[in-house]
Amino acid sequence: MRADLIALLPELMLATLAMAVLLAGLASGKARHGLLGAGAVLALAATGVTLWLAAGATDPGAHFFSGMFVLDHFAIFFKALFLLTAALVVLLSHDYLKRNDYRPGEYLALVMFATVGMMTMASGVNLAVIYVGLELMALSTYILAGYFRREVKSHEAAAKYFVLGAMSSGILLYGLSLIYGATGTLDLATLARVLASAKPGPSALVGVALLACGFLFKVAAVPFHVWTPDVYEGAPTPITAFMSVGPKAAAFAMFLRVFIGGLAPLAASWIWLVGVAAALTMIWGNVAALTQDNVKRMLAYSSIAHAGYALVGLVAGGPAGVNSVLFYMLVYTVTNIGAFGFVILLESRGYAGETVADYAGLARRHPAAAFGMLLFMLSLGGIPPTAGFMGKLYLFAAAVNAGYVWLVVVAVLMSAVSLYYYLRIVLQMYLREGDGAEPATLVAAPWTERVIWACGVAVLVIGLLPAPFLAAARAMAGAVGLL
Amino acid sequence: MPTDFLLSAIVLTPGVVGLLLLATPREAVRLQRWVSLLASVATLVFAAVAWSRIDPANASFQFVEARTWLPSLGIGYRLGMDGISLVLVLLTALLQPIVFISSWRSIHDKVKGYVVAMLLLETGVLGAFLATDMFLFYVFWELMLVPMYFIIGVWGGERRIYAAVKFVLFTLAGSLLMLVAIIYLSFVFHSQTGTWSFAYEDMLRASVPMGQGFWHSPQMLLFAAFALAFAIKVPIFPLHTWLPDAHTEAPTGGSIILAGVLLKLGTYGLLRFNRPLFPEAWQRATPLFLTLAVIGIVYGALVAWAQKDMKKLVAYSSVTHMGFIVLGLFAGTLTSTQGALLQMVNHGLSTGALFLLVGVVYDRRHTRMIEDFGGLAAVMPLYTGAFLIATLSSIGLPGLNGFVGEFLILTGAFPRHPAVVAVAATGVVLGAVYMLSLVRRVFWNPLAIEANRSLPDLTWREVLAFAPLAFFMVWIGVHPGTFLSLSEAAVRRLIGG
Amino acid sequence: MTWFLVHFAEIVFYSLAAVALAGAVGVIAFRSPVHAALSLLGTFLAVAGVFVLMQAEFLAAVQVLVYAGGVMVLFLFVIMLVKARDIPDEPQYVRRLVPAAVGLGALLAALVGVGIWAASGGLPADGAALRMVAGAPLGNTEAVGWSLYRDYLLPFEVVSIVLLVAMIGAIVMGRKESGRGGAA
Repeated sequence: MRADLIALLPELMLATLAMAVLLAGLASGKARHGLLGAGAVLALAATGVTLWLAAGATDPGAHFFSGMFVLDHFAIFFKALFLLTAALVVLLSHDYLKRNDYRPGEYLALVMFATVGMMTMASGVNLAVIYVGLELMALSTYILAGYFRREVKSHEAAAKYFVLGAMSSGILLYGLSLIYGATGTLDLATLARVLASAKPGPSALVGVALLACGFLFKVAAVPFHVWTPDVYEGAPTPITAFMSVGPKAAAFAMFLRVFIGGLAPLAASWIWLVGVAAALTMIWGNVAALTQDNVKRMLAYSSIAHAGYALVGLVAGGPAGVNSVLFYMLVYTVTNIGAFGFVILLESRGYAGETVADYAGLARRHPAAAFGMLLFMLSLGGIPPTAGFMGKLYLFAAAVNAGYVWLVVVAVLMSAVSLYYYLRIVLQMYLREGDGAEPATLVAAPWTERVIWACGVAVLVIGLLPAPFLAAARAMAGAVGLL
Repeated sequence: MPTDFLLSAIVLTPGVVGLLLLATPREAVRLQRWVSLLASVATLVFAAVAWSRIDPANASFQFVEARTWLPSLGIGYRLGMDGISLVLVLLTALLQPIVFISSWRSIHDKVKGYVVAMLLLETGVLGAFLATDMFLFYVFWELMLVPMYFIIGVWGGERRIYAAVKFVLFTLAGSLLMLVAIIYLSFVFHSQTGTWSFAYEDMLRASVPMGQGFWHSPQMLLFAAFALAFAIKVPIFPLHTWLPDAHTEAPTGGSIILAGVLLKLGTYGLLRFNRPLFPEAWQRATPLFLTLAVIGIVYGALVAWAQKDMKKLVAYSSVTHMGFIVLGLFAGTLTSTQGALLQMVNHGLSTGALFLLVGVVYDRRHTRMIEDFGGLAAVMPLYTGAFLIATLSSIGLPGLNGFVGEFLILTGAFPRHPAVVAVAATGVVLGAVYMLSLVRRVFWNPLAIEANRSLPDLTWREVLAFAPLAFFMVWIGVHPGTFLSLSEAAVRRLIGG
Repeated sequence: MTWFLVHFAEIVFYSLAAVALAGAVGVIAFRSPVHAALSLLGTFLAVAGVFVLMQAEFLAAVQVLVYAGGVMVLFLFVIMLVKARDIPDEPQYVRRLVPAAVGLGALLAALVGVGIWAASGGLPADGAALRMVAGAPLGNTEAVGWSLYRDYLLPFEVVSIVLLVAMIGAIVMGRKESGRGGAA
């Protein structure tokens, strides 16, 4: 039991601190933004330290809680990534909360609870654990999407997110129950053994298909992506930033663990499904983004497209494929948080930097911020020497190595398409003078700016010297458990 | 001077200085102009050192630098120089200071951004010429994209945004497929040897299976992916449509670099990568590329003849000249390939000079329409002389550089492809026709327009920018052996002759 | 008749499943919220019947108490309080539904009754895997307890946080808009 608790310590700690932040928020009223924000960041940092200590004291091959929970390298990588994401989001939200005078306590607590859920998903090797982790994350995110109640659009977004999210959870659960019915187990290792030993019946295959649909829904892949643009556009931008990286990365952790781990024996049945979904996602995400004038919608479609790229790594499979997805998630997180940070920084006519035209002439007025956005756009488009390029390189190398050249060709052609809409923003910032239209003014938001700076530096450092980050991802990737 | 870091110094000096200039205040225009000029001159000095130290008889890469970068995939920071890259590096390093001098006054808005973009662009170009790692080559290749986008898009003409976006999308569509091909090539090497590498020398040892047909032939597909990226850059007909737009809209400095250097990367890539890496596919594709080259020569010349805009005329003449270079490369003999390499330099010099000179009158009159000029010979004698030299170099007058290049290409190609040479030769004639008619209309028609009577002649700064170009035009025309001997051993190695 | 006895469990199961499905369809098909809620009740009860069939009486009891009892009552309260005006109260309408309600109720009672009869030994049950601890079979309730607090301790605990978050959510969403510009 003691070993169990040590392995779970990071989650326990974060959940406890989240409750502490919640209570502190209730006790201190709404004025103490700085204090609560600092508390939340410190809590996340402390959890990171705990994670490091727990990882040191735990055998990465061991199973805990009746074999349901592991703390392998894969889980550690993702947990560290989630903690980083949460900390960046808390910092990003600080100025927004303060400026609009929203209560910080519940907000911060919900971000932390969502992080607990994501961490649980990354560590679960039992479908029940993964599912409850997912629900914890999803429920917290639904509430966060509707948290800023004066934003009319955000009500609609929250409702849509909730209904569609609940439906996808339902599909997922249905798939899980069919798989349980067919194999009699929820444990991934046992599942793999059972599936490998006997020819799976139709109910197992239907279960896998439903599971795939549910997961594709969660990572916002075509054709289960329709909710994304509306929700991303409507939700308050800090939450959009969070939704586009945290839950997505967590969904990929779960996708990798379940499909490459437990369902590996059925790879022949699902790999084409995921491959086709990846191709469609890249094509549709990028093509649809071309025509968007609303920056948040455009970034929503861009995030759909990026889920497609990451799926290429999943299809490639093997240590190299998993490794590349892990690395890509890191790259995508820092880039996307930075890009949304920039959107938060803009405020035009009372609502955050909505249309592409609002960006006209920004480079002249705010050269540093515009340069950061340039980096993020290039990184999302996959142009060297940014992190996005290295991320794609590894995905593509893994896929070519696994024989999926056609998928890589689709991916690179779509990267070329994507550059068109990423450059539209650059074009507005640098090439247009912003005459006529009232140019967007930047609001004072010191913490948001610091996050952008940090992300910008990370994008360049990972792009120029990716070796240590890759080594970290590679050390982790071996451990999806069953490779 | 030790040569351990010579190539890094050549490649990185402009880029590092450019990034440092980024930190200077916007108003420090004088500082930015001088520092950027000095950085490009320093790069030229380093290139000259390489020229003096290189052993032309040695066909392999020299001054080699190799450092691991991404060890897991065998990607390294590998630089090396042979005779071919030396010649092109010299051209690049020579043109860059000229660009800065020529835009000293004409670029007065956002000077910092301009010089930074130019310096980063130079690093990209030099890096692509000197990289001996496929991956590093690709990184430098893509590095050129963004600065050029800004150069066209920020300091360009009326339709600059359209031209900039078109330039980027054309280039990117080709180059991304090349990335897939590079990865696949490395994968072939991995499956044949068991180790990962992206080093150029290793790739030469990988033998890509030829297979059957096109879609089932890995070598043909890889050849096509590389060739597409390079053909767009050259540009080979019918992929040339981005070129007139980009040239016309780009500022003078951008046009000089674009025509003088960037286009050369396409032909350099064909020679450096397609030729030795995919020899069978090269043989199979030769008829196609010869045909396209000849079409490009004639088509470019005819379209150039019909232009009313001087800059567009020069831009279409580039299509013709690049057609000759492609012809020389695919004709495949030592003579024609050497001629193609020399012609790359010649085109850089003569077209660079022409763009420079068109820019001179544009700065004074803000028009480039041929009909807006006439009789300038009387008003601007110095300018007329300079323009005449550039024109004669461009149309291949014996004694100037263009003649040597075209002569080598055509004589080298004649034994194998007489019909092709016969058609291409009409391109030479047409070139003379449209260029000389341009000269006649601009310089010798009656001086009808009042505004032209008071045009000032070349300033000392413009003379300074033009003089080195003229100097090398004459040098190559009179004694081409200086440069041909530099690259002969390396070319022999690449074409296996 | 022998066929009926052999396939008895399946017949009961599919009947209950049909009721559950019909109830679920009713939830979205009925216009009136009260009818929808009552329809949901049918689904809950049918699911309880399935639990009984699986010899999980404890779960069945919990299902009836918590869902059919607590959750349903709460639903009805909310509907009555919030949308009292929208509920159609024409007497004819209700009267027309009486036979249907009686029929449905009788069917349900019969099914549940048969299920209990079957579970209490009237018919040989298949697939009822009771947990053995220290050589002795555990009762239904104990088995659930073992499962929840031993094997599934971790998901169980995570669910408790999920409930906490749900509560926070209800409060955040439900409270009057606070802060600047809000109707304090």
